[in-house]
This record gives sequence, C-alpha cells and structure tokens, in this order.
Amino acid sequence: MDILFGSIVAGVLLGMVIALVALGLTIIFGVMDIVNFAHGEFLMVGMYAGLLSAKATGVDPLLTLPVAAVVGFLLGALCYVGFIKFLLRGPMVAQLLGTFGLMLFLRNLALLIFGSSDRTVHHGIIVGKSFDIGMGIIVPATKLAAAGLSVIAFAAVWLLMNRTKIGKALTATALNAQAARYMGIPTEKMNTLAWGIGGASVTVAGALIVNFWAVNPFMGLLFTMIAFAVVALGGFGSVPGAFFAGLVVGLIMEIPGFWDFFTYTFDWQWMADVPMTSLKYMWIYVAYFVIMVVRPRGLFGWKQ
Amino acid sequence: MVVAGAVFFFFLIFPFFPLSSFAMATMIQFFMFSIYGMGWNTIGGYGGQVDLGKAQYVGIGAYTTGVMLIHWDVPFWASMPVGMAIAVMWSFIIGYPLFRLKGHYFAIATIATSLVLKDLFTVWPFVGAARGLEISPIQFTPPDFLHLIFKEDIYYYYVILGFFFTGIVYMNWFRKSRLGYQLRCIKDNEDVARSLGINVHWAKIKTYAIATAFVSMVGSFHVCYIKVIEPVDIMSLDLSILIALMAMLGGAGSLWGPIIGAAVLIPFKSYLKEWLGAAAGLAGIDLILYSVIIMLVSAFEPRGIWGIVEKARRRKRD
Repeated sequence: MDILFGSIVAGVLLGMVIALVALGLTIIFGVMDIVNFAHGEFLMVGMYAGLLSAKATGVDPLLTLPVAAVVGFLLGALCYVGFIKFLLRGPMVAQLLGTFGLMLFLRNLALLIFGSSDRTVHHGIIVGKSFDIGMGIIVPATKLAAAGLSVIAFAAVWLLMNRTKIGKALTATALNAQAARYMGIPTEKMNTLAWGIGGASVTVAGALIVNFWAVNPFMGLLFTMIAFAVVALGGFGSVPGAFFAGLVVGLIMEIPGFWDFFTYTFDWQWMADVPMTSLKYMWIYVAYFVIMVVRPRGLFGWKQ
Repeated sequence: MVVAGAVFFFFLIFPFFPLSSFAMATMIQFFMFSIYGMGWNTIGGYGGQVDLGKAQYVGIGAYTTGVMLIHWDVPFWASMPVGMAIAVMWSFIIGYPLFRLKGHYFAIATIATSLVLKDLFTVWPFVGAARGLEISPIQFTPPDFLHLIFKEDIYYYYVILGFFFTGIVYMNWFRKSRLGYQLRCIKDNEDVARSLGINVHWAKIKTYAIATAFVSMVGSFHVCYIKVIEPVDIMSLDLSILIALMAMLGGAGSLWGPIIGAAVLIPFKSYLKEWLGAAAGLAGIDLILYSVIIMLVSAFEPRGIWGIVEKARRRKRD
C-alpha cells in the first residue's frame, strides 16, 4: 500500500515541477503560435546555471534561483531577437526545423563546454535529507522544496499575466495580435517578453530539478517531449491548464511505481517480467498522441 | 536534361576512379540519404506535412531484414519486401489517427510515435534489446548476392545505385500521377481540395505509406551494408531530422531537391568529421556547424537550394 501512496506523492511533487517546465512553452505558444523544440535545452541550461552558480558562490542551490531566472530571461529574449524573429516570416517547415537547429546547437555547445558526463548537486542545506510523512512514505527534502518553489513561481507568473498591466498586454497579444497592435501594444516587444518569461520559468525549473536529477547535455529532448505532453493535455496557451496537466504527467512518470503496486497486489508473474522502468517515458509519448487525437484542445485550451 | 545525363554517367563509372574507400563510402551514404529524402519528400514536400518520425521505418526495415537473416537465413530480396510490408502496415495503423493533426501538432506526434517504437525495441529481447543486432560476415561467403553480403564496397555501390535510379523514376511518375496532383492541391488549399471531391485523409495516408516504403527499403539495405544496428542510432530522432533537413535544404516539393540536399550535406558531414578529427566529433563541433546551417537555411532561405535555382530561372525568363 505504501508503494501506491509513495508513487502518488512522488508523482504529484514531480508534477508540480513539470508544470513549471511546461509553463514557458505554453506562454510562448500562446503569444505567438510557435513551438519551441529547444525548450528542453533551455531547461538544461537552467540546470547548468543552477549547478555552476551554486558551486561558484558556495551557496545552497535553492538560493541561486534568481541567477537562473536572469540567465533564462536573457537566453529566451536573445533567441527571439537574434533568430526566432526571422523564422516567423517563413513557412512552418522552416520554423520547425529552425528550432530543431537551435536544439542541436545548444545541446552540442553544452557538450563542448561541459562534457558528456552526468552532474548533480552535492552540497546544500537540504541535499540528502528527507522527511518521513507516515505510512512509510519517504520524501526527499529537495523534491519537496522544488515542488513548493515551483508552485510559488507558478503563482508569480499567473499574477504577472493576470494582474499586471504588462501581463495583460501579453495576454492581449496572445488572444489577437493584430487587435492588440491597434490598441497600441507593440507586438515585437511582447514577443520578446514572452520568450523572456518563458525562458526564465523553464530555467528556474531547471535550477530546481538539478537538485534531484542529474544533468547532461542530452537530456533536453526528453523534457521537451514531456513539456509538449503537458501543454497538449492542459491546452496550448493555458496557464492553469499547464498546472493541472503537469500533475497528471508527473503521475504518469511514476507508472513504474503503480505497476509494481499492481504486480504485488495481484501477484501475476507476467507483470513482474515487463521492464516497466525502462518504458516509463514511453507512456508520456503515448499520452501526447492519445490526447491530440482524442481531445486536441486539451483541458483548458482556447487555441487550436 | 543533358546535365542529368552527364551526372548519371558519372555515377555509373565513379567506382572505377582510383579514389579512397572513404570517398566510396560517402557516395553510398549519399545515395542512401537521397532515397530517404525522396521518400520524405512525398509527404513532407509535395504533401506539406512535416514528418519528423521517419527513422522508425528505417528501423523496421533494418530489423526485419536483420532478424530474418540471422534467425532464418532469409535472402535480402525476400526480407526487404517483408520489411516494407510491415513498415507500411504500421504506417497505416498510426497514419489513420495521425493525419487528423496538422502542422506542429502533427510533427510532434510523428516524433512521439518514433520514440515509442524506439523505446520498445530497446527493451525487446528478440531484436537484441539495447545491444541491437550484429551480422557477422563469417557465416556467409561473399560476394553473396542473395543475402547482400559483400566484402568490397563496389557491389554495395551498384546495388544502391540501382535503388537510386528506381527511386528517381518512381518519383518522376509519382509527381505526375493522380495522387501527386491530389497532394499538391491539398497542400495549396485543403478545403478546396475536399470540395473537389478528393478524399484528403486517404490521400495523405497513402502518401505516408509510400514514404515509409522508400525509407524501409533503404533501412534493409543499411543493415546488410553496415552490419550492425542499435535502436538508439537507427531509430533516433537525429536521423529523422537529418532526413527532413536534407530534403528541405535541397528544396522540399521538387524532384531534385532531396538529391541536392543530400549531395551538399553528406560530403559536408563526412569530410567535416575527417578534418576536425574524431575528438572534435565527440565534442560535437561538426554538429554545431550543422545546426548553424539548419538555422540559417530555415531563417533565410526556407525553400532550399532548388528554390534559389527556380528563382534564378524565373528571373532569366523575365
């Protein structure tokens, strides 16, 4: 039984962080209808940023989040102004392949700079500590903190989008760029801002994740696909959608735990032979496919 | 026309030049990727739906031929059609729901299915799981035309050249065929196409199957040529992107586009690795240059090289 609850708790905690990862993607998509295949690579950059700033300053990684945020904002804004802006003029083929090129570029740049080995955080106030919340469930303190901070970051972005003038301008551009322009809202600046905020939220997520997940230059693609699945489920462009969908996808990532629970409960030998742990990411891709075919709008989507 | 004839003649006599085996291997790669690109071009170029999951069909073709060779000693000329049949069947199964999507969503879905298949093959013991398959030439006595096992590259060269010519002839027929015209109509304006009575959904699925057949054919060849396959390489997203990129660079939607794209990128890729050395390859410098090319082409000349050629031609006419 504790396997079941343990998996649920782990899934929910992971899900909150995943939601933050996907938040950037959904904002960028909402504002300008472009899918950023390099999203996972932004996450990776955030992870390295968090890791390195913690090592350099000797401070606990969780306190280096502002650094990651700034790096992410600059990265996103720079990518837009220096590259994405030109892609938008071209056909969709070009846009897709363009962001792929960006993905390869960032991935191999990281490979060149950091090498291909995994790196994790080793020092920190809460690294290595965990809580026992009863029923035999052990929660690593890093995961709990990451989830909590993700929720705070999420709330901050939501407040930004809905309660500030600039956020409302962004939302207006997302709803109808031309009308917004007639109202005096400069589309180019909004696009840049969207990429900046999108980049910042995913790098902060990265700085949080690096506390419990090793970073290497090749991990981007997996998280890009995870982010797509979340955004598809939540609805492209929807901020609250990204949160709930994130929780769902977090639970999907804990399928090996659920599988183990069912294996023990029903005691069917064939279940134990299935290498579910190696296949756990497969379910995310399947989920994306099923969602897009069955309900392309997602849960809260308003854009097709 | 004259240029094409001269180039073909050159291809025919190429192996008789005293060039390095590296050059020969690069040419073989060029033909392989031309065919990959031609296949992609049917659905990606003429059809206008960007497919980024072609590598899964390469894998199906390669694994089918490989498994049938290793376990049951089946000759290439029998296992290749079987591979194509399986690949096409799979393409129909996922094509039916897949083509309800368009644009980015379609592209991401193709990636998703490719990754699912790759993950499954990585854990499936029958196909060697993560270690993949390996064909040891010792069991066969080369030159073995039945199983396509040769010691010298020159035999492989002519086989793939044959496929290449067949591919071009087919593509030329295709773009003037009923399906080809239907596709171009769909690409221009889907609603109009539908109002003209074209079954859009089916046209796309059929084209997807054709692309699949091309790709799986070369996959079967690949396993006999390279003799080692692993799921992480042969079904990788990187391969899918490479295929799409070549067709796009050369000019998606034209007959010569994919071939031009392959002609530019394959030598570039091979010689870059040679010059920069293996260490740089590990560090991914060649890929960095690669990705910069992708980005530049996407941003500034998305119609590819053939697009530039056509623009120049039009200007000459005016």
